Amino acid sequence: MDNPVGPILRMCDEVDLIAAAIEDDNPGREIAVIDRGSYVRIHASGHLRVTAGSLKRHLGETFEIRSLEAIMSSFSGRIHTTSDSVEWSLGARPAAQEPVG
Amino acid sequence: MTLLKREEWQGIVRDVDWTFGYVDDDAVYPDWQSGTGKIPREAWSKWEESYKVSYPDYVATQREKESSAYAVKAALQRSRTFETLDEGWKSATKMHFGGVSLVEYAGLLGELKMARFGLSPAWRNMAVFGALDEMRHAQITLFFGHEFVAKDPQYDWSQKAFHTNDWASISLRTLFDGMVIGPDVVDLAIQLPMTFETGFTNLQFVALSSDALEAGDINFANMISSIQTDEARHAQQGGPTLELLVEHDPVRAQWTIDKYFWFSARAFAALTGPVMDYYTPVEHRRQSYREFMEEWIIDQFVRTLQDYGLRRPWYWDEFMQGLDTWHHSLHLGFWNYRPTIWWKPAGGVDAESREWLREKYPDWDKFYLDKWTVIAENINAGNIEATLPETLPWLCSMCHLPNINPVYGRDGKWKTRNYPLKHNGTTYYFCTKGCRQIWWEDRDAVNHATVVDRFLAGEIQPMDLPGVLGWMGLTPEVMGDDAHGYAWAKSFADPRATGSGLLVGAR
Repeated sequence: MDNPVGPILRMCDEVDLIAAAIEDDNPGREIAVIDRGSYVRIHASGHLRVTAGSLKRHLGETFEIRSLEAIMSSFSGRIHTTSDSVEWSLGARPAAQEPVG
Repeated sequence: MTLLKREEWQGIVRDVDWTFGYVDDDAVYPDWQSGTGKIPREAWSKWEESYKVSYPDYVATQREKESSAYAVKAALQRSRTFETLDEGWKSATKMHFGGVSLVEYAGLLGELKMARFGLSPAWRNMAVFGALDEMRHAQITLFFGHEFVAKDPQYDWSQKAFHTNDWASISLRTLFDGMVIGPDVVDLAIQLPMTFETGFTNLQFVALSSDALEAGDINFANMISSIQTDEARHAQQGGPTLELLVEHDPVRAQWTIDKYFWFSARAFAALTGPVMDYYTPVEHRRQSYREFMEEWIIDQFVRTLQDYGLRRPWYWDEFMQGLDTWHHSLHLGFWNYRPTIWWKPAGGVDAESREWLREKYPDWDKFYLDKWTVIAENINAGNIEATLPETLPWLCSMCHLPNINPVYGRDGKWKTRNYPLKHNGTTYYFCTKGCRQIWWEDRDAVNHATVVDRFLAGEIQPMDLPGVLGWMGLTPEVMGDDAHGYAWAKSFADPRATGSGLLVGAR
């Protein structure tokens, strides 16, 4: 995969559910899940996103998007966080561009 | 009540900044601390962090992280997990606790400096969270190491190591004084959050957690991967600072990255390399150090640097060649000089391990087999004394690690080169061309004297090995010895074990 970007999640119960949420938020995209035991890479080429809505759908209504931080030890590419989504991509982001949740 | 979204209010509370009326801007943000250089003062208003956090979110998330790490610790404290861990793996953790805990405290000082002198209010705000993170890291690392002090006095060096003149500690202090304590905050942001934390700490805190888990040390794996979740956030102070620097002073950006990429590569070859390829029992290794370096640094981190418009460093070929030698040589050095370190290095070269090393490093036999064969020969003959150091190794004047990188001469013989440089009547010696070049470019910087420099200056008395060990703070119950009582050497006694023609049994 060229230019893989996306989160690197640490060992915890939620990894598969977060992967499922990411699948939902990136329909039709090739998503690589690389399992190294204590950490799991979830990557796509060039761009990947996950939304608060999908996370809640898979992890329960009480899951807040801020809690993704406690699970994400690292990531590949540049990150962009809002209250509604987290995105990973390459390249500088125009200052005015805000993602649609 | 519906709460406002963070982005609807954060700018107002985050961007606390004002124009000074009674003092000059320079008095509040002197360039030797704020380091703006060629970046225009007004350009800092564009600084924007991409990984955002508010104070309420920070507190709630950090509480979750701490509760989870301490819950695992509490559960395992009641088990007999510690007793079942391999001695080599335990040394991986002793090395980590002693080498990292107070480095985290140095990180705290760096974050506080950025929180005070950063020229953007958004940056200063983010650095405050970074400072709280680093305080957590120093404390959790000290606390987790402290649990084992009663079981093994080497764990006492979790707290002690950084305060001593142990050569490994001096090497670490040299690195972090240059990376964190000395520089202005722009260089600091490029060196610490961008190079060290976005790139290299992933090796010791995420990649190594995978070996830790395999080795059965769930507690340690959990602690280090939890720490790195903070790093992943506050390391993002590097990106916006680097963007401004690349725009206004690309030469400084490239040079600063190159320098600390090099120093980090040297340091992690010492800290992480021996642990991944020798101390972790061979059956528990997920990947080799080289493979983890390829995954995290050569692939992931270099792609990030290129994404910011930077090139590969000028020393790329020397760095890549070093992936096959640096950490193997440092492992040999640690093992040979084991009384000078606070952990018990595993030899890690029994027959099965040698097979693994050959598979991962096709040149391993060529460079290292004969050395370990001679050591094993002495051990098997009952002559441990011959495997211990008699004097000091020559230390690099830049990274303070020993000058022990092997190269093949034109005559086909193995040799260790040092790379000398004469300056103001003194000859300095370096482990590599990279260290020599950086030292020369930065020759007016204040550098620590190496242990050898101090020894020759008469600072260490008496001038013999016991004198050196005492000066380094090592006491008999802490001095390192082979992790497995030299059991690995037996595999060399069997002439069929290596097939190298350099066998003890064949002589």
